[in-house]
Amino acid sequence: MHRTWHKRVPIQSHKNLVPLLKCLTECDKGQELEVVNVEAGYHAKRRLAQLGLFPGTKIIKKQSAPWNGPVEIIVRGTSLVIGRGLAAKIMVLCKDHCSI
Amino acid sequence: MSCHDPKRNKSNEKGENVINIALAGNPNVGKSVIFNQLTGLSQTIGNWPGKTVERMEGYLEFLGYHFNLVDLPGIYSLSTFTLEEIVSREYIVSEEVDLIINVIDATNLERNLFLTFQLLELKIPIILAFNQMDILRKRNRDLDIIKIKELFKCPVVPVVAVHGVGVHELLEEAILLIKNGYVCNLPPEVTSYGREIENILNLLNKELTSISNFKEKSPYPARFLAIKLLENDEEILKFVESNLGLSLESMKIEQYRKELEDLHGEDINTIISSEIYNNIFHITEKILINEPNEMRRKNLADVIDHLTTHSIWGYVILILVLLGIYIFTFTIGDFLGGLIDEIYLVWTSQVYLRFPADNLLVQILWNGGMGGFMGAISGVLVYVIPFFMTIEILQDSGYLPRAAFMMDKIMHALGVHGKTVITMVLGFGCNVPACAGCRIMETQREKKISIALTSLIPCAAVMTVVMGLVGRYVGLEWVLVLFIINFGAIYIVGRILNKTMPGECTELIMEMHAYRAPNYKVILKQTWIRSKEFIFRALPIIIILGVVLEVLFLFNILEPVNFILSPITSFWLGLPVVTGIFLIYGILRKELTLVLLALFAENIGLTITQLLTPFQMITFSLVTMLYIPCFATIIIIARETSWKYAIQISLIEIGLALLIGGIVNFSFMLLTIF
Repeated sequence: MHRTWHKRVPIQSHKNLVPLLKCLTECDKGQELEVVNVEAGYHAKRRLAQLGLFPGTKIIKKQSAPWNGPVEIIVRGTSLVIGRGLAAKIMVLCKDHCSI
Repeated sequence: MSCHDPKRNKSNEKGENVINIALAGNPNVGKSVIFNQLTGLSQTIGNWPGKTVERMEGYLEFLGYHFNLVDLPGIYSLSTFTLEEIVSREYIVSEEVDLIINVIDATNLERNLFLTFQLLELKIPIILAFNQMDILRKRNRDLDIIKIKELFKCPVVPVVAVHGVGVHELLEEAILLIKNGYVCNLPPEVTSYGREIENILNLLNKELTSISNFKEKSPYPARFLAIKLLENDEEILKFVESNLGLSLESMKIEQYRKELEDLHGEDINTIISSEIYNNIFHITEKILINEPNEMRRKNLADVIDHLTTHSIWGYVILILVLLGIYIFTFTIGDFLGGLIDEIYLVWTSQVYLRFPADNLLVQILWNGGMGGFMGAISGVLVYVIPFFMTIEILQDSGYLPRAAFMMDKIMHALGVHGKTVITMVLGFGCNVPACAGCRIMETQREKKISIALTSLIPCAAVMTVVMGLVGRYVGLEWVLVLFIINFGAIYIVGRILNKTMPGECTELIMEMHAYRAPNYKVILKQTWIRSKEFIFRALPIIIILGVVLEVLFLFNILEPVNFILSPITSFWLGLPVVTGIFLIYGILRKELTLVLLALFAENIGLTITQLLTPFQMITFSLVTMLYIPCFATIIIIARETSWKYAIQISLIEIGLALLIGGIVNFSFMLLTIF
């Protein structure tokens, strides 16, 4: 349902939404986020779902490795490292105040 | 009603009752600690038939029962994402298993219960072992064990595996479970999905059970099959079509799946997973007792975590760890190796006192067989054992995933993701277990690239040559240069393989568990078991080759080899002609190149510095570093992939060594001219 919503609404036109909806790589570390959509391929998406990461899941971005490395997030109490390319395909909603 | 019908009252030749147990659970939940506590040293390590997945087995006697335990690989789910999952699933439903012990990390219920829910669907007698209860209680939390028993309707045992608490209760429960028979009426409030999914599952269920003799034909319960059919699980789709003879089209599975996906606006895997996680969420609320004022203080583990993933200190620590592996492996290996070599020399002189030295048989058996055996111990095993130990420490403490995290970006340039760093770190000690370790890679492509890169890492044996020759006679700065060239070569090979191999680099998805103090018992046992495996698998090959080479040597078959190789050794690489044969021996064990060189120099009354110029030493060491994986590594590569690929890698590395060696040689020549 989230997918249809965010496809239908051109993001640029909703100025108040722009800072809220981001991909995981863009968020600051330490932020509490809610997953909105995982735009990855079949296998990666299934894997992430099994590890408990799917639309609606609340996660915390812990850190990302130096030089644009992978992202470490906390999902359901455990640390998960996700390659940067994949992290860029995970759309999240910032729960707390956004820095932009 | 009994759903799973194990051949009850199984007994062995001694008339004891036998219970076969499979240990299942997520990675890093203390499964192997429990396994170690129970089985002690009675463990064997092998492969699952036809698969490159490790199989740990052990047994013990307890209360008059004989228990066979199999430690399944750590998995997150019973799908078919990895080989480990397929192996585990097939094994659990096989006739061999009487019951499962599901090890659950009590500090991480949500993730762990996901697997539990799928195991429950298999309707096999199950015991839930909640591990790490001490840590949970330290966090001012507890589990309502009675409530869990009530909800899941199966035995539940709280465990503190590292202290052995609750471990033997597991076996007592197992005996009770087998004695009393297992009644598995799955608690619907625990495992049911949403109504629309349940309706479809019921329809599929009916269709599946309507087949005559369904129970004999399928080791899986119908409901489990129905879920997996809906999930589009390739293996189960095939199984239902071929073994049960059902047509998937007539079952309208596509249609059902589409209905659900349209209804939820998500793909089927997300729907099913989120339903399960939703159930889990409600259950954890019921079973987890949360004391107020939960304080989470920063502890040592957090500090180490911060440092090892720091943008500067993280890399400094990575380098220190690599150096540490070298130094530890070396100091112990050199010391023990020296001792064993001395013993061998004493024995050899004794043998020659008793037998005539020109007796061919004695030479073949003693020099070849025994020499090979002792050489394998003093030259390989003494390095392999301390190395396994460091690796177990790194693995058990949780450092290796951090290294993968830090290096992921760099490894992507080579066509693999960060996990390859783990096998490459292993490669610094010994390429043989490191290449075998490449099976942790998810796809065949990545496994192949990882193996190629790992086999180029200078191992402890190569380090003896480099340090013993260049480090000792030329200077440590040149050792550094050699290392840089070596890593340059790894980079080039990685780039080439990444470009030429079809497919794309997959992204890293990896759990990073918190640091913990390694358990010394587990480490010692694992080290012993792995070394034991190495002794039985690799040593026989080395001994046989020792005999073969000795025969070749005795009949002077090797003399012409130097001559044949002379254009390469003498002209192209600028080395003395005699090194050709040393390089051939080096395939067996890399450090032999130096050992034989030193022996040869001694025999003709020269020192190594008189035999080789500093430039030649550098070229010689460089070629030794790169020219081919050692024989044991080649065998491992062939077993993990194919002989074709093993030979390909060998040829690539020979080409690379000749190319770089030639360039270095000719640039030195130019340097001396000007």
